[in-house]
Amino acid sequence: MKQMARMTLEEFEKALEGTGYITEQQDRIAVTAFLAVQLEKPLLVTGPPGVGKTEIAKVLSQVFDTPLIRLQCYEGLDETRALYEWNYQRQLLKIQMQRESLGEEDLFSEAYLLERPLLKALKTEERSVLLIDEIDKTDSEFEAFLFEFLGEFQVTIPEMGTVRAKKRPIVILTSNGERELSDGLKRRCVFLHVEAPTVDKEVRIIRAKVPELPERLAYQVARAVGVLREKLNLHKIPSIAETLDWAKALLVMGKTDLDPAWVDATLTLLLKSQEDVEIFYRELGAERLLWELKPPRGDGQHHAHGK
Amino acid sequence: MRTGSELDRHLIEFAQLLRSLGLRVSASEILDAMQGLLLVGLEDKERVEAVLQATLVKDPNHIPWFQEAFRAYFAPPEHKQAWEAEAAKRSSEHRAKLEQSRQELQFQGRELDIPEEQRLIYAQLPPEEQERMRKFLERSSEGMKLGVPLDQSFQPIVERAIRGSLDYWRRRLEEEGALLPPGSADGVTSEVEKAMREREIQLLARDLKQIPAEEWPQVIKLIRRLSQRLASQVSRRYRAARRRGGVDMRRTLRQNLRYGGTLIERRYKSRHTSRPKFVLLCDMSASMLKYTEFVLQFIYGLSSVASGIEIFAFADHVVRLTDKIHKGQAFSEMVAEAMPRTGSQWGGGTNMAVSLSELIEQFPEVLNKRTVLLILSDAQTLEGEKAAALMGKARRLVREILWLNTVPAKRWQEVPAIKMFEPHCRMYECYTLGHLTNILNEQL
Repeated sequence: MKQMARMTLEEFEKALEGTGYITEQQDRIAVTAFLAVQLEKPLLVTGPPGVGKTEIAKVLSQVFDTPLIRLQCYEGLDETRALYEWNYQRQLLKIQMQRESLGEEDLFSEAYLLERPLLKALKTEERSVLLIDEIDKTDSEFEAFLFEFLGEFQVTIPEMGTVRAKKRPIVILTSNGERELSDGLKRRCVFLHVEAPTVDKEVRIIRAKVPELPERLAYQVARAVGVLREKLNLHKIPSIAETLDWAKALLVMGKTDLDPAWVDATLTLLLKSQEDVEIFYRELGAERLLWELKPPRGDGQHHAHGK
Repeated sequence: MRTGSELDRHLIEFAQLLRSLGLRVSASEILDAMQGLLLVGLEDKERVEAVLQATLVKDPNHIPWFQEAFRAYFAPPEHKQAWEAEAAKRSSEHRAKLEQSRQELQFQGRELDIPEEQRLIYAQLPPEEQERMRKFLERSSEGMKLGVPLDQSFQPIVERAIRGSLDYWRRRLEEEGALLPPGSADGVTSEVEKAMREREIQLLARDLKQIPAEEWPQVIKLIRRLSQRLASQVSRRYRAARRRGGVDMRRTLRQNLRYGGTLIERRYKSRHTSRPKFVLLCDMSASMLKYTEFVLQFIYGLSSVASGIEIFAFADHVVRLTDKIHKGQAFSEMVAEAMPRTGSQWGGGTNMAVSLSELIEQFPEVLNKRTVLLILSDAQTLEGEKAAALMGKARRLVREILWLNTVPAKRWQEVPAIKMFEPHCRMYECYTLGHLTNILNEQL
């Protein structure tokens, strides 16, 4: 594991870059993540789906070369799924086998504990990265339950006592903003809001992830996706992963330029609902989209589609 | 540690500025900011801003406020002095106007009992209107009744007349967007408020009827997000009710016969699901006309994200819009078709007594214990008492009635029907998107 305690912000930024994760000074991702790591505070990341919130946790685990433990939240998630549960089957078998000589402490020991992600993160010998993904999908009761964990990095198991973190994990919580999170939770976290990337940043992402794609095409793809995000009232804006899929499709098909027929054929790689596709054709259309990509000076070198 | 204490002072002042702008900043967050700054250093302004934002701001909607506050607080001293001077000037003008209104609004040499808010409205009136009001007071002061000069016992009557007139002007100035807020007396705060007005990111706080057409796409996006949130909350309730409700012994025993009766695998009873059904009742009368676009977007937003929402429109008669919306019929068409049946026409008067009684009698299937009835209206109705009684009846049929009222809460006492409706429903003021956000966040 890399020495995170002695890392400076510049070294941290360099390490992020080394993993292929692209940041800009304006998006403040690097400095905020650095703060969370150094202050040993959970990092709460909000923003629309598909802008790279979850990726931050994955990248941090790469940077520090530590295991990534993931808790995917959903409606109705409770502590038995998030923290621990007793292995009842095993306990019952033990009771069956040693009816006479069994003490309570024999049954409530670590051997009978099923560790769920939160407990696992506390008990890991080395500092781990814990991703609590889509926290806004849980109930407010679960959120309150997390307070002890996030504030003190400890949990209390009634039968066993308090379990403290051997090494405080780096905790990343993500939220799509479906539900307002409580003040208590927010107060305990360092906060980062991530928006869809700028065209320049997305070009850099495409170039890093699909290096075979020529820069000019990468720029066109990023611009086109930018136009879709900006100009249309889509139910779901195209994510960075979808942009990358689109860029890869361009490469696979051996295209050297975007053309309307190809945009029509591959649109569903970007827009995943019929409603959004309808909005696209009603308000923009492939020809118009490509027309929007023309450079402002209009040097007329490429694809002057549109009327 | 001189620098340390300077830093402390600035941080605390900055946090106070954020608090005065409505952001909640706790002591532990200030401490985090301090530690963050010590870690990152103070050389790079961008980084300082990033550290303060990450530790002091916890809501994306507050980021623009934070950015403006940071710009203003860390501005060069000469700028700050200029803002202070400007704020001081405005504050003294404000006091002078109040004083002037005290001098001018008098009856027989005695000051009228009029709240400060109304005095400020007087100060903003066109000079000819101020003159007209002064003339009225002069004439009344010298007036006669049955040959006897009026005495001071007539002052309350005169006050009522003046208050009524000022109230009319308040509404009119509000409609025209000409009512100026008093503004903060603190230079930096008032600079931030001014910048926010200029950046037009007060969308959430602006009255919906004043949002111009070109900004509607932004508003629609917001409504759609709010609607999605509402829809997801609906399903969250559904899941919460499905939580395991105890061991089902019969099924557990049957399941565990294979283990010789040892209870290895448990089976649980689950509670009956009771997902609330939303019924939306929209007022489409003249007084609501200015909120047409809002009502429309609200309906479309809700119906696009949550299925099974029943939508009705009324002026007096009730018309069911659910099918029309699902068919994607154009709104203008739908209104043209539906409105002759809801009353005289789109924008006519309101009679909620008629509409509620029709809803109860003609659509009994939509009102049951799973129903949450959402009413979107300004409560300006004929037959208020009868309507309130019917509302009470409807309340007994449904789980809950939520009323989104486009009249500001401070004016509710002026609408008599509101008092009658309040016991039967939870009423929220809802004339800005900010209100709608709060209602959806906190109440639903």
